[in-house]
Amino acid sequence: MTKDLSQPVLKVRDLTVEFATEDGVIRAVDSVSFDVQPNETLGLVGESGCGKTVTGLAMLRLIPMPPGRIASGSIELDGRDLVPLPDRDLEDLRGRALSMIFQEPMTALNPVFTIGNQMTDVLCRHRDLTRRQARPVAAELLAKVGIPEPANRLDDYPHQLSGGMRQRVMIAMALSCNPRLLIADEPTTALDVTTQAQVLEQFRALQAEFRMAVILVTHDLGVVAETCQRALVMYCGSIVESGATAELFSRPRHPYTAGLLASIPRLRSERLPELPVIPGRVPDLLNLPAGCRFADRCPRVQERCRAERPVLTGRDSGVACHYPL
Amino acid sequence: MEILQYALRKLLAGLPLILGVTLVSFALMVYFGPDMTYQLLGKNPTPEQILEVRQQLGYDQPFLQRYLVFLGEIVTFDFGVASTGEPVATLLAKTIPVSLILILPGFILGHVVGLLLALAAAYWRGSWPDKLIMAVAVIGMSVSFLIVIIGFQIVLSSSDGLDLFPVRGWNASSLGNYLSYVTVPTLATMFVALGYDTRFYRSVIVEEMTRDHVRTSRAFGLPESRILLRNILKNCLIPFITRVMFSIPQVAIGGALLIESYFGIPGIGKATYEAIVTGDQPVLKAVVSLTAILFVLVVVLNDILYRVVDPRVTLK
Ligand SMILES: Nc1ncnc2c1ncn2[C@@H]1O[C@H](COP(=O)(O)OP(=O)(O)OP(=O)(O)O)[C@@H](O)[C@H]1O
Ligand code: SF4
Ligand SMILES: [Mg+2]
Repeated sequence: MTKDLSQPVLKVRDLTVEFATEDGVIRAVDSVSFDVQPNETLGLVGESGCGKTVTGLAMLRLIPMPPGRIASGSIELDGRDLVPLPDRDLEDLRGRALSMIFQEPMTALNPVFTIGNQMTDVLCRHRDLTRRQARPVAAELLAKVGIPEPANRLDDYPHQLSGGMRQRVMIAMALSCNPRLLIADEPTTALDVTTQAQVLEQFRALQAEFRMAVILVTHDLGVVAETCQRALVMYCGSIVESGATAELFSRPRHPYTAGLLASIPRLRSERLPELPVIPGRVPDLLNLPAGCRFADRCPRVQERCRAERPVLTGRDSGVACHYPL
Repeated sequence: MEILQYALRKLLAGLPLILGVTLVSFALMVYFGPDMTYQLLGKNPTPEQILEVRQQLGYDQPFLQRYLVFLGEIVTFDFGVASTGEPVATLLAKTIPVSLILILPGFILGHVVGLLLALAAAYWRGSWPDKLIMAVAVIGMSVSFLIVIIGFQIVLSSSDGLDLFPVRGWNASSLGNYLSYVTVPTLATMFVALGYDTRFYRSVIVEEMTRDHVRTSRAFGLPESRILLRNILKNCLIPFITRVMFSIPQVAIGGALLIESYFGIPGIGKATYEAIVTGDQPVLKAVVSLTAILFVLVVVLNDILYRVVDPRVTLK
C-alpha cells in the first residue's frame, strides 16, 4: 500500500477519555483534536497529570477498561477509525503500524523472559519470520539502537540491563516492524542526564532512517525545541495551544505556554528534571471550574474567563484563551 | 550444574532448621505430651516401681540427653516399638504409601482444576463466567469438610443415592478396587480445596494482569490468550509454587488425618489419630519428627524451584 504523503497519518477528532473512580467520573482527556503528518515529530507537553499518557495510550486503545473508556471521538490511522475496530484487527496494527514506547523502562519489559525472547515474539507476530530467523534481525535492531554486543544481550534478562539499555531495547522493539506512527511517552525521563542525551540523539537518527511519524510526549521544552516540528500544549485534559515549535517558542499566545517558557533556564544544555513551576495548583479533575481551567493561575484572568470556557481557535495552530498574548 | 550446587547448599542450610524444628517439637512432647509411666504400671505402684519404669522410659535423663537420643532415632530411622508391639518403622512403611496414593489424586486434581477455573475466570473477568465461577467457589468455601464428605457419601455411595462406591474402607489390591475406594475421598478433598485454590489463583493472575509488561505485550499486538497463558502465567509461578508447596504439610497432616479416620483407611493419618488417642509415644515421636523434616524439605524445595522459574533469584 502506498501512503499519500499529503494526508495526515493520524487524525484525532474530539477524543474524550473517562475514568470511573470511586469519587466520580473524571475526564482525563477532553475533546482533543489534532493531526499528525507523515514523517513529522509532534510534541505533546504539559504538567504531570494533564493527560499526556492517557492520550498516547488511547491511540492504541490501551486504556485500562474498566475503569477507563473512550467516551467519544475518533482516531483515524491512514483513514481508518480505530475506535470501533474489532479487537483482532486492532491487535494486527499494534506493534506493526502503531508502536509505543513507555514512560517506565524498568517495568515495561517482562522480567522472566529474555530480551531476545521478547523481541522475537514481536518479530514473529508481525513479520513472516521463524524464531530462528528472527534472532539475527533482533540483534541487528539492538545494534541500531546502540547496544554493544547485541548478540549476547539477547540472552540477558531485563534486570541484567541498565535503565538506559532497557529503554533502547524498547525502542528497538517499537521500530522492529517499521511503524507508520510511533508514540514515545517520555522515552528519556526515567534516565540520567547523560543517558538521556544519548538516547535522544539515537532516537532522532532512527526517526530519520525509519521515516515514521512520531508523537513525542515530554515535559522537557528543550527536547521539544530540538526535536519537534510542531507541538501541542495540554492542560487539564485539553489542548490549550498548538502550533509550529518555532512559532510557539518565539511567540507563545496562551498564558500557560508563556509561563512554561518563562521559567526555562537560559542554558540550553541544562535539562529540567521537572516541568518549570508555575505558581498555583492544577484544579482537581473531579471539580473543574466552569470557565477557563487555567483561570486560578493566570495573570491575565478577567471576569469572562471564569464564566465561559475558551475553545481552541484552530487545530494546526490555535489557542484556547479569551485574552491571548 | 550450578543449580545442583545451589540445591545442595540449600539442603545444608536446611539442617539447622531441622534441628530447631525437632527441638521445639520434642520439648512440646516432653512437657505437654502424655506421660507413659502410669499406663505401664498396675494399680497402686510403689515408688520403686515408678522409678524403674521411668528409668526404662528414659524419663530420668536430662532433657538435652533425651533430645540427643531422639535425634539418634531420627538419623537411624529407628523409633522403637509401638504399643501394639510392631516396630514403628514397619508401621510407617505400611501406612505412608496408603496415605500417598489416597491423598495425591485429590491434591493434584484440586490444584489443576483450581488453576484452570481461575484462568477461565481471569480471562473473562468481570463477565458472567467469572461471576459464576467465583460464586461457586464461595459456596464451596463455606461448606464444612464433614458435610462435604457426608454429602458425597449419601449421593455417591449410599443405597438411597447412586450407590456407585463403597461407603468406607480401603482396598488397593487392583486398579479397579483402588479407583472405587479412592474416588469419594478424592472428590471430597478436591471440593473443599477448590474454592480456596480457585480464588487464590485468580487473584494472583488478575493482579499480574495489571503489570506494565502486560500492557507492553498488548501494545505489540500479542494475542490476549497467549499473553495470559505464557507471559502472565510464568510471572505467577512463584506465588503458585509457594501455595502448592506449603499446602503439602497441611494436607499431609490435616487432610490425611480427617479423611482416613472418617473413611477408616489404614494410612498414616489414622495411625497418628490412634497414637494420639492412646498416647503411643514412639509413633507420635516418629510422626512429629517426620513432619518437621517434611516441612524443612518443603521450604528448601521451594527455594530451589524459585531459582528455576525466576531468573532474578540469584544463586547466592
Ligand atoms: N487507570 C486510571 N484510573 C483512574 N484515573 C486514571 C487512570 N490512569 C490515568 N488516570 C488519570 O488521568 C489523568 C491523566 O493521567 P496521565 O497519566 O495521562 O498524565 P500524564 O500527563 O501522563 O502525567 P505524567 O507527566 O505524570 O506522566 C490523571 O489525573 C490520572 O489520575
Ligand atoms: S482564558 Fe482567561 S484565564 Fe484562561 S488563559 Fe486566557 S486569559 Fe487566562
Ligand atoms: Mg505520563
